[in-house]
Amino acid sequence: MGIKFNRVDYKYQGIDNKGYLALSDVSLNIDSVGEFITLIGETGSGKSTLVQHMNALLLPTEGSVDIFGIKVHKDVKKDKKIKLNPIRKQVGLVFQFPEYQLFEDTVLKDIIFGPKNFGVPQEEAIKKAKEMIKVVGLDESYLERSPFNLSGGEKKRVSIAGILAMEPDILILDEPTSGLDPVGRDELLKVFHDIHLKLNKTVIIITHDMNTVYEYAKRVLVMREGTLVYDGDPLKLFSRKNIEAWNLDVPDILTLIHKVEETYDVSFDRLPRNKAALAKMIQEVLV
Amino acid sequence: MKNIVIGRYIPGDSFLYRMDPRTKIITLLILMVATFLIDDFTRMIGALGVISVLLIIGKIGIKRIYLGLRPLMFLLLFTFSFQIFFNTQGDIVYDQVVYYSWGNLLAITFVVLFWFFTKRFTKFKLAYFLITVALVFYIFGYINIGDAFSTGTLAIHEEGLNMAFFIMMRLIIIVTLSTILTITTKPTDLNLGLEHVLKPLKIIKVNTEEIAMIIAISLRYIPTLLDEANKIMLAQASRGVDFSEGKLKDKVVQIVSLLVPMFIISFKRSDELANAMEARSFVPGQFRTKLHQLTWTALDTVAITVSSIVMMISLALRIM
Repeated sequence: MGIKFNRVDYKYQGIDNKGYLALSDVSLNIDSVGEFITLIGETGSGKSTLVQHMNALLLPTEGSVDIFGIKVHKDVKKDKKIKLNPIRKQVGLVFQFPEYQLFEDTVLKDIIFGPKNFGVPQEEAIKKAKEMIKVVGLDESYLERSPFNLSGGEKKRVSIAGILAMEPDILILDEPTSGLDPVGRDELLKVFHDIHLKLNKTVIIITHDMNTVYEYAKRVLVMREGTLVYDGDPLKLFSRKNIEAWNLDVPDILTLIHKVEETYDVSFDRLPRNKAALAKMIQEVLV
Repeated sequence: MKNIVIGRYIPGDSFLYRMDPRTKIITLLILMVATFLIDDFTRMIGALGVISVLLIIGKIGIKRIYLGLRPLMFLLLFTFSFQIFFNTQGDIVYDQVVYYSWGNLLAITFVVLFWFFTKRFTKFKLAYFLITVALVFYIFGYINIGDAFSTGTLAIHEEGLNMAFFIMMRLIIIVTLSTILTITTKPTDLNLGLEHVLKPLKIIKVNTEEIAMIIAISLRYIPTLLDEANKIMLAQASRGVDFSEGKLKDKVVQIVSLLVPMFIISFKRSDELANAMEARSFVPGQFRTKLHQLTWTALDTVAITVSSIVMMISLALRIM
């Protein structure tokens, strides 16, 4: 179970009838529990198109996507028995720009909009909203404010709370930390990591920040010109020679380690995944 | 949303594409006037012939024109039948007794309901609709189920037939001409041409440049806003809004969830655009040079001359 891509192609229709191939021959498997995946790749490589297939917002033009046992293909809408809407409760997708979804006059109404669409009773939805607004790092006083008077970062948090309140099994976030200050970014990433750790949920994050990939991801997907060029361990990805060709760079910690190895002619027997681990290694040497 | 044909430029190559946009706008106007001057059956058919020749030598597919006419099909049919049935001037060309009986009314209700529920299964919607209409008239005119409680006459008058024909032809020709204009002219060129054509209005203190700028910006933003609308729909769909179904009450919420972000994004965009224009020193009403200069060629002179002659002929024939 989970999400399974079978040789998916997706073509955007253009004015001329040629179209633009945004995804080409993508096959991959995502488990319904226990994964923490980052999706990277240069702009226009098809990352957003790929995740919009994961909750059946876009239908593949070739191939199929199995989402929790429902086979989604190009003619799936013709089959009246298959309902695509429930998929979106199971696979929650947060869009990159909160402006595309905020529309109610208070933050509270906006957060409960999703749960109510999926039949959650009003009181329960409000309870969820109160809980989730704290999870994303805002306090309850925000619930009565208008979503349009918030700062960019606050809007982002509200839009994320709106999806979290739906309690999806798989959580997908399209560049959740863009437009946030560094402190806010780290806070939110911890939130997503906590959701993953405590509830053992699968979380998929699109990002351009290699440090995020290196620190958190159990698995990394790299897109390039509509094809999936890498699927696997982040450490192995960053030890490859040609990642600059994919418009990626090496995370800060690894850059530092490479520099140390180069300058002092030493080699690290294990690689720390975050600053705390690195600090500990330094301490071991110094003390 | 992707099937909007009116106002869409389609790349191609023919003399229509090479013409100056000013010429195209003026010829369009001249030919429209000419169409309205025609009041004779054979000449109208002739005008249709001229348009067909224009399409053939201008290398424009008839399918494009059909796609342009399709949104107007209902209007065309409506004006046509309105004229035929309600215009009572002139001699009666055709009359028919119609029977109003409960049996007939029942049969017709059944036919209409049958059409209503089965129309989605056919590809030939228009043909299917026409067949249904014909069937309704057949039942009224030739079948008398049960006793008629009232009879009436359906009469088609000569003038009605005439008017129906001319109105329909004029509409078809005008829409075809404007479709040719928009298919062969890039929106930017069209706007540039419009700016020049409107220039004489400056004498009566109409700010033609601003009008042209407003039109240019609106045209420019149609695809962008459609794109935004699509993104909003996807974002709301991922929060459980099902745009394809739902009751009337749900529909209202769905539309609000689409319109509010749409408005906010449009206002934000126009604000940003205004700032960007000012940052590049745009001052309304200031004299500006143009990157694309329009050039008048022999082709344009010929086009204006020919269309003027066509109009003169139709004017002369009208007066005589």
